Amino acid sequence: MSFRSIDVDALDEDILHQDELFVFSNGIEIDPETALNDVKTKEVDVRNFLTRGETTTALIKAIENPPYGLHTSEAKDRNTQIVMDVLNSTKATVDLTKSLSTEQQDILMKYIYRGMASPDLYNSAVLLNWHEKLTEAAGVGCIVRVITDRKTV
Amino acid sequence: MSSTEVYQLNFGPITAHAFNKDRTQVAICPNNNEVQIYTKAGKSWNLIHTLAEHDKLVTSIDWAPESNRLVTSSQDRNTYVWNLESDEWKPTLVLLRINRAATFVRWSPNEDKFAVASGARVIAICYFDEEHNWWTSKHLKKPIRSTVLSLDWHPNNSLLASGSADFKACVISAFIKGVDKRPPPTAWGEKFPFNTVLGEFSNGGGGWIHSVAFSPSGEALAFSGHDSEVSIAYPGGAVKSIRLTGLPYLSLLWTSEKKIIAAGYDCAPVLFEETNEEWKLSRIIDVGKKKVVGESTAFNRFRDWDTKGISSRGGSEDSELNTIHQNTITSIRHYAGTRENVTHISTSGLDGKLVVWDLENLENQFRNLKV
Amino acid sequence: MSNTLRPYLAAVRSTLTAALCLENFSSQVVERHNKPEVEARSSSEVVMNPLIISRNENEKVMIEPSVNSIRISIKIKQADEIETILCKKFTRFMMLRAENFIILRRKPIDGYNISFLITNFHTEQMYKHKLVDFIIQFMEEVDKEISEMKLSLNARARIVAESYLSQFD
Repeated sequence: MSFRSIDVDALDEDILHQDELFVFSNGIEIDPETALNDVKTKEVDVRNFLTRGETTTALIKAIENPPYGLHTSEAKDRNTQIVMDVLNSTKATVDLTKSLSTEQQDILMKYIYRGMASPDLYNSAVLLNWHEKLTEAAGVGCIVRVITDRKTV
Repeated sequence: MSSTEVYQLNFGPITAHAFNKDRTQVAICPNNNEVQIYTKAGKSWNLIHTLAEHDKLVTSIDWAPESNRLVTSSQDRNTYVWNLESDEWKPTLVLLRINRAATFVRWSPNEDKFAVASGARVIAICYFDEEHNWWTSKHLKKPIRSTVLSLDWHPNNSLLASGSADFKACVISAFIKGVDKRPPPTAWGEKFPFNTVLGEFSNGGGGWIHSVAFSPSGEALAFSGHDSEVSIAYPGGAVKSIRLTGLPYLSLLWTSEKKIIAAGYDCAPVLFEETNEEWKLSRIIDVGKKKVVGESTAFNRFRDWDTKGISSRGGSEDSELNTIHQNTITSIRHYAGTRENVTHISTSGLDGKLVVWDLENLENQFRNLKV
Repeated sequence: MSNTLRPYLAAVRSTLTAALCLENFSSQVVERHNKPEVEARSSSEVVMNPLIISRNENEKVMIEPSVNSIRISIKIKQADEIETILCKKFTRFMMLRAENFIILRRKPIDGYNISFLITNFHTEQMYKHKLVDFIIQFMEEVDKEISEMKLSLNARARIVAESYLSQFD
């Protein structure tokens, strides 16, 4: 009777898979190894900016070029950690979020949601504050794009 | 003189609407399997015909102005062409050969063909087969990977734009030998046999494409995605995208070569304008009522702010929205004026309202407001 | 406490506003059917990324959007065992009567206490901002309700204990 448990619909050749959807939303797959190395170099830069007190530059650097991809979870975790460090050491203001470009706002919003998904690791109160300021600057359109975009962080 | 005419034709949603040529009659679907035809009587509309041939939700209606024929598509997988014979609308079944819902239908500019979008990952191009005396179809299949949500015909009667749930907007040839005369070459391509893909565009944000529209000249294609982006694509592959701060748009209409009207989940139509090769959102067309905020005391405001997380919206106790449409606008249609200079548009949405907007009058109002 | 409640509810409100953009969508897989895609999960392109908004480890909301339906799951704060029991009883009571609440789901999603399922048919009948208000209000009230129940439970336990012990006087 095992044939009854086969998911027939999944065998439909017309069906779209996650990797195709990723390509359809203009995602470019990168090698997990390279992605991780890129993030590590980025980490150094961001730390330097932070020690010099240039928080805005640090934030822009941290959300630049996120390691999109379906197999880069290690690089993604690391990058999230970097962004969270910057957000924790920076005060959220509407002026700061307004000064970002729409692309940067979209990426920052993705990281905020990513951070909120694991409240055991990151401080939700800080993230909620950032979320509020960013929504004020970028509107709900920004959240819509986090929902739709298959290039997750 | 009023700049908008508002008619409440249904208390549920209107899923689609289409006017006849002289705008004296309108066909709507009141969110069920029926199509209702209303005729204008002074300031109101009277129901004169109910077309009940479909057995599931009617998704789209189009009224061919010259030949006075209706075409309707439905989730029951069928499409009917309706002819008026001695004051009665007679349906003709169309041989669609699709096995999923028909989602969208549009007559071609010459009214000799129509295109049906479907959930079966195909677009059916239908034409009249004289020999067998029925409407038959050819399928456009190639680049489509998911449900097709919207279509628009190029003014040359041969090219078709489609927007689908696989995040893509396409320009495809729907040229049918024997029905069409060979059209002159266009900016999209010179020769195009049936199902040639002449352009494939994406917002890159992963939102399915709710609406596509060719500009009056057919030299540009606008499309809006569920990722709150509106893009304008040109032959050759250039795409200009605008990321919006509001909710996604479901319908687009070019009112001139440099103006697009969009409407959707925000319940108010907005105007996009091109100045110096740069597209941007210029303003919201629905000026809105001046709402008397009145009794919103400081205490209430702080209470809302604290407990409900409402910061900006005043008077949340009120259930009515500030806009004319009270719910999502699902379709914008051309109402009056030429294709190059549309003066009136009509919109319908989930709130059951049909609204006719006088664009020139609204423009004047807006100018006065600025002064 | 209140200073973190406000941004929390504001975040839920704006996320719901963004996610509640639904339309009528006929199934691509099953002929002539219309299913909430977030439950059926038959076409991956119309199911979008789920979002989680958290206030702390014990209080969070998950919003799973799709083309014609969204699922909202709430994890209610449970500080001690009594609250856990009360929360369980309370949500169970509601979910047994789910049809009266229209948008309530009969079963919560794993890891959450209560779930709502809003489809395009609900947004057609009801104002969207009122639906959002309802969810927000529910989130506020449920905390209040449970702490009230806890108080009355404790008060009752005290009375019972007193009357029981009084016989040994």
